[in-house]
Amino acid sequence: MYVAVKGGEKAIDNAHALMRTQRRGDSAIAELSVDQIRQQLPLAVDRVMNEGSVYDPELAALALKQASGDAVEAIFLLRAYRTTLPRFGYSEPLDTEQMQIERRISGTFKDMPGGQILGSTYDYTHRLLDFSLLAAGEAEVAPEEANALSEALAAGNSCPRVLELLNKEGLIEQSREAGTPDEVPRDLTREPVNYPAERAVRLQNLIRGDEGFLLSLSYASMRGYGDSHPFSGEMRTGRVSVELVPEELGFPIEVGEVLLTESEMVNQFHGSKELPPQFTRGYGIAFGRAERKAMSVALVERALRAEELGEEVLYPTQDQEFVLSHTDCVSANGFVSHLKLPHYVDFQSELEMIRRLRKEQVQRTESTTKEEADA
Amino acid sequence: MSTATGYNFAYLDEQSKRMIRRAILKGVAIPGYQVPFGGREMPLPHGWGTGGMQVTASVIGEADKLKVIDQGADDTTNAVSIRRFFAHTAGVETTEQTAEATLIQTRHRIPERPLQADQILIYQVPIPEPLRFIEPRESETRKMHALSEYGAMQVKLYEDVARFGHIATSYDYPVMVNNRYMMDPSPIPKFDNPKMSMMPALQLFGAGFEKRIYAVPPFTQVESLDFDDHPFEVQSWDEACAICGSDHSFLDEVITDDNGSKMFVCSDTDYCRERVEQGFVGTAADLPIAEVGTN
Amino acid sequence: MAVSSHELIAGFTDPVQASQQVFRAALKVMSEPGTLVDVDYVEEAPKGLDQSTWQLTLSLLDPDTRVWLSPTLAANDAVISNLRFHCQCPLVENHGEADFAIALHSELPLLAELNWGSAEYPDRSTTLMVQVPALSAEPFWTLSGPGIEHTRSLRIAGLPDAFRAELIKSRQRFPLGIDTFWCCGNQLTALPRTTAIEPLNTAQEAC
Repeated sequence: MYVAVKGGEKAIDNAHALMRTQRRGDSAIAELSVDQIRQQLPLAVDRVMNEGSVYDPELAALALKQASGDAVEAIFLLRAYRTTLPRFGYSEPLDTEQMQIERRISGTFKDMPGGQILGSTYDYTHRLLDFSLLAAGEAEVAPEEANALSEALAAGNSCPRVLELLNKEGLIEQSREAGTPDEVPRDLTREPVNYPAERAVRLQNLIRGDEGFLLSLSYASMRGYGDSHPFSGEMRTGRVSVELVPEELGFPIEVGEVLLTESEMVNQFHGSKELPPQFTRGYGIAFGRAERKAMSVALVERALRAEELGEEVLYPTQDQEFVLSHTDCVSANGFVSHLKLPHYVDFQSELEMIRRLRKEQVQRTESTTKEEADA
Repeated sequence: MSTATGYNFAYLDEQSKRMIRRAILKGVAIPGYQVPFGGREMPLPHGWGTGGMQVTASVIGEADKLKVIDQGADDTTNAVSIRRFFAHTAGVETTEQTAEATLIQTRHRIPERPLQADQILIYQVPIPEPLRFIEPRESETRKMHALSEYGAMQVKLYEDVARFGHIATSYDYPVMVNNRYMMDPSPIPKFDNPKMSMMPALQLFGAGFEKRIYAVPPFTQVESLDFDDHPFEVQSWDEACAICGSDHSFLDEVITDDNGSKMFVCSDTDYCRERVEQGFVGTAADLPIAEVGTN
Repeated sequence: MAVSSHELIAGFTDPVQASQQVFRAALKVMSEPGTLVDVDYVEEAPKGLDQSTWQLTLSLLDPDTRVWLSPTLAANDAVISNLRFHCQCPLVENHGEADFAIALHSELPLLAELNWGSAEYPDRSTTLMVQVPALSAEPFWTLSGPGIEHTRSLRIAGLPDAFRAELIKSRQRFPLGIDTFWCCGNQLTALPRTTAIEPLNTAQEAC
């Protein structure tokens, strides 16, 4: 019987209905609320906000719910929503030095102004499954004094950046020449990237880039494929206020605050004819508590500075076009998964070609054999 | 118009449409040249037609009649999905008939029925750069286009000739547009390449994740690359369409049983339907036709 | 110059649909050079602009396009106020920096001084919109090239000889070039850089 591929509309409807049923799971189990996701899976929410490029924990949690917990699918949902949002204005540059710090770690100095603040972390936990969570018990809560300390810190004074302490001695490069004004960065969601891309564009690209890809690239760069084995000068997490200058007021007003994680790496640089040896910087920043992401950005960012620092570009991690064209999980996922779409026509073309080539080869062999026999 | 979706007409905001429209105009003015544009995120994955959709969204108006095909067929899942998207967000009329469509968005085929003046054919393009698999770097391929340095492609095709006695590229077959720019025709079978040249309809190409738009105006020379002693040729089949008997259209091969028996049917379903209506019959016309994918 | 509110007029009644329709007209003439189309989606244009010019600007210009105006237009409060208000396009003094240059036929800039784009990015060139006294399909210029099956006739009135010569010669620099829209009343046509222009004969070219 001939089977015509018909009924696409109905098939799609049915497929989506099945997907919704599957997402809900066993209806005897209570449904997960967006609030629960937001409160209890905050690190997943942070990842979706970062790669989705929208600071909105509620919508990120909704996206995670809708995507059955698939981070890449959730990121895609948030991105597609983001595109349609009107722009009310552009914020002033954030001042992370004024961050209300909840956690701050330096790998370069034992102590410094503001101190080391361990805050909340998975670091130093022994990765032993906690079966008490399985038993639906109440999770252990932080003792009073830990809470009190954390609140006191957040309310306390902001602390200077570790790298600025090095800067005072001139041991580390300036982020920019003294006296140069703020430049308005290009917006890579509005304009295509042209190569070579400037640092602000590279950073935008990395910050919305796939966490796994960046993590692996930074791992590779530390293992020698990129000459990058830095020190973590500082990693800090906390709230920063966002300010906007409304046209009619002409001065900045605070419109909200965001939780950010910032990473600053200290890399070696052997100097050049013009410059004495000094440290160089790699920078990363991310929404929420996203240390792995911020550090990966900082490492890859530094590797990508090879060309501007006069280092030889030897590895993919240092190659702008290679890295920046492939960071985006929405693009990567789309392109890989498009192989699921029909390719009947192209495949038919290849079938026709390969059959013809084989036929011709057989004919050639036969005629050669015949010629040899005749001879 | 049923645009009660909370989104603008045809989904994209007006500023994005204007930006894309300006890119399309430049594309038309420089046939075959890839114009970079600020590609937007679409609610479909990259590689699934987002470039074509952005072009369609910027071109389409209330008076248009839209046809969407994938592999030549109107009823393949992705074609259905894209057609629905525009029916939903733009409220436009859709059609499966090539003759009555004003806009045709396509993936991988050019309809068999010759297109007319004032129709617009919009191709979905995954990788717009014909030289990409020879030189992966955008900065390099851009220079090659600037200098018309296309020797590397000739070398690649000639290597095929040396190895197989033929140019072994069967789809996505590179063309020269208006004697100046080498262009990727999108992954259409080379069978469709000759239709591109001197076509009375306007051809627009959108690559979503590579963020490029290009165009071939009506009545523009489009030549498939070849060699004097190995001229360009298209696919042909010994079989005819089992439904309409056509011996001149692009055929899909369908496996009909576990022993690998097969039959060939038109890939362009509207063309096939039209022929059946005109009374043409193939060898399998009386076979019962079942539908799959309706679980 | 700021926006003078007393000069403001209404733009498109239905901006979404009218912008699309005018764009389709622009696309038609750019892809079929020398074809004449009418665009009719506004009641009026600011004093000094033809309706077709005004509709093109409403459809294509916005805060992302730098616009240069020829001197009479640049001194016209109605034109400037309405462009600023409706399109929010930045106006530039130097025509070499413009994405779009809008000129009266008697005030054409030297083509050579506009932005021709670069070999790697020929799309970054200026698009020129010219307001002329008459457009017709009378035999005058014979056009050929992409978008034209055999040849097409076009007559654009009021162009200075030097400009015509420069336009005809500019084809040699392809793929660099200036793409042009020609506006008269409600009429619109275009000549992209690919269109070869053959004057009917030297005597007629002079008229």
